[in-house]
Amino acid sequence: MATSRFELTRVPIVKKVLVSRWLQWSLTAITLPFFLLVILAGFLGTPVGSRNFGIVFVWIVWWALLILLMLPFAGRLWCAMCPIPVAGEWLQRRALVQPREHARLYTLGFKWPRRLNNMWLQNVAFLAVALFSVVILTTPFASALVLASFVIVALVTSLLFERRAFCRYLCPVGGFIGLYSQLAPVEVRVKDRALCATHREKICYVGSDAGYGCPWLVFPAALDKNTYCGMCTECLKTCPLDNVALYARPFAADLSTNKGRRLDEAYKAFILLTCALTYSVMLIGPWSMLKETAYAVGAPGWWLYAIGFLASNVAIVPGIFYACVWLGKRIGQAAISTRQLFIEQAYALVPLGLAAWAAFSLSFVLTNFSYAWQVLSDPFGWGWNLFGTADWTWTPYFAGGQSLFQFPILLVGLIGALAIALRTARQQRISPRAALPPVAFCVIFTLALVWLYV
Amino acid sequence: MSSWKPGVKREIVSLVVIALIFLGFPAALWAYQARQTQVPGVRVIDITANAPANGGWQPDAIRVNLGERIRLRISSSDVVHGLEVPALGIAVGQILPGHVEQVDFVATRAGRFPFACTRWCSVDHWRMRGVIQVIDPENPNLALPTAAAPLFQQLGIDIDARHPAHAVPTQRPSAARGALVALDVSGDLHVQSPSDVFAAWRADAALPPRSDAQLWDAVAFAWKRAAGDDAISRGQRLYARDCAACHGESGKGDGPAGRNLPGMSAMDPMRNRGPADFTDASSMLGASDVLLQGKILRGGMGTGMPEWRSLYTDQDLWDVIGFLRSFVFDYGPGK
Repeated sequence: MATSRFELTRVPIVKKVLVSRWLQWSLTAITLPFFLLVILAGFLGTPVGSRNFGIVFVWIVWWALLILLMLPFAGRLWCAMCPIPVAGEWLQRRALVQPREHARLYTLGFKWPRRLNNMWLQNVAFLAVALFSVVILTTPFASALVLASFVIVALVTSLLFERRAFCRYLCPVGGFIGLYSQLAPVEVRVKDRALCATHREKICYVGSDAGYGCPWLVFPAALDKNTYCGMCTECLKTCPLDNVALYARPFAADLSTNKGRRLDEAYKAFILLTCALTYSVMLIGPWSMLKETAYAVGAPGWWLYAIGFLASNVAIVPGIFYACVWLGKRIGQAAISTRQLFIEQAYALVPLGLAAWAAFSLSFVLTNFSYAWQVLSDPFGWGWNLFGTADWTWTPYFAGGQSLFQFPILLVGLIGALAIALRTARQQRISPRAALPPVAFCVIFTLALVWLYV
Repeated sequence: MSSWKPGVKREIVSLVVIALIFLGFPAALWAYQARQTQVPGVRVIDITANAPANGGWQPDAIRVNLGERIRLRISSSDVVHGLEVPALGIAVGQILPGHVEQVDFVATRAGRFPFACTRWCSVDHWRMRGVIQVIDPENPNLALPTAAAPLFQQLGIDIDARHPAHAVPTQRPSAARGALVALDVSGDLHVQSPSDVFAAWRADAALPPRSDAQLWDAVAFAWKRAAGDDAISRGQRLYARDCAACHGESGKGDGPAGRNLPGMSAMDPMRNRGPADFTDASSMLGASDVLLQGKILRGGMGTGMPEWRSLYTDQDLWDVIGFLRSFVFDYGPGK
């Protein structure tokens, strides 16, 4: 895909901004007050979610920005400005902007266990949060507690382990963003890998006075997908050969190759797809009892829900897909192992999954966005009216017309899924017929969502 | 600081900004809230309204001094609630979740002023009560006036005993038809049951001959005249606000909030479960107003019927009773 990239860092102002040491600090200095307000409002403000800044700004405004704008168009941009790990990172660096000598880190320096050098912990963390999501998304205190616990875990992780181990291996949202950032039309990549190969010092990985070694534990020259690049731009600052750049590229370029596909990432795709469907059924479908059951944590019905939710994510949906792949293998008479084909075909679910999340998010974001004006003026629900918008009435935007957006989004996601499924078959040199059952899976999944939304 | 590279200055600037975010920003929020809630010469009291299962009014007991200027800031943490204390001029029709309603008042009368949620907020809505106690600092005992014993106690009426009517009409007595007969009740109407009055009239040889139906119509008219149209209308509003959820709009005891209440069966297993049925002619015509008043003001002692003595004035009680009679008497359109 190298030929179809455009190097954005050729634009002088872009380059200047990206190599500035102020960049990431400035971004987090903007998000930090919002985050602080989210935590304070969650702990001290009204328990009424729709009138609490913590709920409305995280789960409606930020979520809308993340799913509908940042992820599809800027990949992991959020990770570059996320306030959650910065306290730990600043302590680890004992600096905010300017690195200490040789970019020294003040940490116990434990190496992250090799066995956990994957997405599995993020999958588990995401499932744990997702299981309680109905409570977390509607209860300010619970939401603040979860976010504050992320900060604490990130802080402890920073002091124990090197670099951003929390972001890379633990953050539940990080795994989500990482998987879908493969679809974004931007990437940080080296310009010439051969040049990196000849450069012994590997300063982009070890750091220098100009900047830190990759906080995400990635060697930029080996980077061939966005999944693990936090877009912090440290490598642009440290590379003495000016061999790292920010590129514009076609959407989903990372998925054009089947190199490096892994079971942990495949499972992330299943979990995200299943959660998108589960939430759509639970929160948008006509079965309000499901939502009430999911909310009643600890009640007998909730345990059934929990078992069903986890089983769907871990076994049922992946199992159905595995059966589809097995059937496809039989139809296509493919020589590849079913397990390997299962992993590779699962990447077709990446565009479909993001489309499902975008469609699902649209349904509640458009309906509830008007709460943002209220909490902007009265973030704690204490009767403030800072900007005169506290009493603006709740108004669903595009009421009744949401499906006009949802349907095309799902269609684009489905087309992307079909293209990747067929391309994967081609890359494996097996008959395209082998892709038909996974394609049918994607079509049925999309139709189910269309039925729910329309 | 020897290990700093040339960027010491930018580190200091960035540190100051972050310190401002972590310390200055929360301090600014705190200061703003303090400014909002501190009014010179006014005592601000924050009240949170929660459904009873979530804690009810918090706080539920408020002590203020006579003559003190008070601002109540009331917010709801769950559903819509309401608050009225007419004696203190407090009337908040609806307290929306997450909103803050402010009401100012000056405590010009010493005493206890009970209040209750005025919106049907939950099944246990009736438990959602509180009290504002206005203390006269110069004479604090004034805040605890001694109430007279209720009439049913003064008259020695057992309000838990069965009280069937001696006779019941075959059709619903009409006050309008009764106006044509317009008999006078001898003695205090409130201490007599309608069936007592009917029986007395039936036994009165001095009266011109009347059919049973005519006498029952006259009874209906007597009760309507004694209550008065305005009081019946007011009683109807109170009934809708405070009673209908359990006793039902039609008075049959079939309100949604009363479905799982034991009713009088808590005292006597042979009796029906659930709220009283005001359309039951036998029990309603066998009950005097004083008996009904006793039941309302004392409550049901485990039956699920709340006590209303702390919330209702005598007039409220008589107005509600006046309206309750309309379930067995035909008081005309709208009643």
